[in-house]
Amino acid sequence: MFLKVRLPILLTFFAGLIPIVAFFFKDGTPYVKTLSSSLEQDMVIVSGFALLLGVVNVVQGNVRKIERREKGWFYAIVLLAGMAFMGLFGAAGAMRLFGLPGIGMMADGRPTPFQWGSLYLFTPLQATMFALLAFYIASAAFRAFRIRNVEATILLVAAVFVMLGRIPIGEPLFGPITEWMMQVPNGAAQRGIIIGAALGAASLSLRVILGIERSYLGLDKSE
Amino acid sequence: MSNLAKLTSIDRRWIFLLIGLGTLIPVLLPIGFPVRVTAPVKQIYDKIETLGPNDVVVLSYDYGPTTGAENDPMTDAILRHCFSHDVKVIALALYPLGGLTSLTASIDRITAEFPDLEYGVDYVNLGYKDGGQATMKLLAEDFSGAFPNDTHGTPLSNLPLMQQVKGARNAQFAISVATGIFGEWWANLINAQYGLPIAVGCTAVSAPKYYAYLEAGQMLGLIGGLKGASEYEQLVKDNYPNTREAYANPMLQTASKGMDVQTIDHLIIIAFIVIGNLAYFADRRAKRA
Repeated sequence: MFLKVRLPILLTFFAGLIPIVAFFFKDGTPYVKTLSSSLEQDMVIVSGFALLLGVVNVVQGNVRKIERREKGWFYAIVLLAGMAFMGLFGAAGAMRLFGLPGIGMMADGRPTPFQWGSLYLFTPLQATMFALLAFYIASAAFRAFRIRNVEATILLVAAVFVMLGRIPIGEPLFGPITEWMMQVPNGAAQRGIIIGAALGAASLSLRVILGIERSYLGLDKSE
Repeated sequence: MSNLAKLTSIDRRWIFLLIGLGTLIPVLLPIGFPVRVTAPVKQIYDKIETLGPNDVVVLSYDYGPTTGAENDPMTDAILRHCFSHDVKVIALALYPLGGLTSLTASIDRITAEFPDLEYGVDYVNLGYKDGGQATMKLLAEDFSGAFPNDTHGTPLSNLPLMQQVKGARNAQFAISVATGIFGEWWANLINAQYGLPIAVGCTAVSAPKYYAYLEAGQMLGLIGGLKGASEYEQLVKDNYPNTREAYANPMLQTASKGMDVQTIDHLIIIAFIVIGNLAYFADRRAKRA
């Protein structure tokens, strides 16, 4: 009970409390600021382990897909091969193994295998995926932007004004309207969303720090 | 069913074809539409203009290759501006692929145009560090807490520029060229907690949410999408003749050239929205009849 419930709750309480307390102390205050900085460094290390967890998850999911010959299983092989290539050469480069000077460029200006994969495989593939959005957005705009009711009409007019306001041809007329729309109605709505989300995050954080919210431990309130 | 009404079921490959042509033709045959500079972009430019030779700008590459077409011209123009104006730059990345590709490629590309610059004195490349907000908090207080070495493995204590500023809070200005939520973190953690003026360069799709921070004064300026990048390019080209040669390179994909594509594609999309609605009403009338 202590190791599974009380200890994690105590750790969470102190980990959550220290940065809040440190915020109210001046620079150079011993103990409090040092403790807070150490905690932040620990958080960077812990987040590194989250990456490892992601790798394990991807391997498990894709190996299962290949074993069961699920639809698209061939792409799972490509994904795992790519991950192994980048992972092995990335780790070897970072540890300066096999004469690799790092994960960037070599002294003679040639890319390391990791950098080669980044520059000539991953970068163009990612850019291509994102570029496809333009085609789908155009198609979706054609099908979805219809004057069906008042709300849809407002959305359509706003979208057309912004599209015209963000191009040189329409900017002299629609530019100031676009800026006004961004600053006033959009700004007001965004502010409401951001403040609402921040209050929600703050209240959830308090619940976690105080041990009221325990779902992250796999427990419900009664446990 | 009238011919107009039939357009409601047009094969979407026609739309794809027109968007493809609208993208390809302006790339091959640039038009060169004029660029009008807006206030949120000018405010960033003006802030850097107020800085002197001993001042430091922190430039964070918080984006990856997916948004490089929009974000790369921003970082390139900001670097050209800083180096032309003799302002020192500490570059880093908090987004994984920002550090591996965008940051190093951009630094190498732009510093090659300024042969008098000295690494470690005029600029530093800290590379990428995982950890998001925790890393941001650390580097605000002390760069060496988050980045013990630079991207070449040199300890920060051996770099003269890093002796000048302990943490990002000691810099004069920070700009995050960001995808996703990173720009908001810079506003919430660095500006709100340390008072450092910050600005954000973001994709056009992210720009609306940043207006709330801009209007609240938590951000000094905003470079929104390709349009914002083209405005910054224009300011740099107009005021620093030494950068015009780089921008005149026909092989360089600049935001100004990208605006030609954006203009044509926006017009195509608007035309399809109008056609779609005409077809929709024609179809509805035909069904009623």
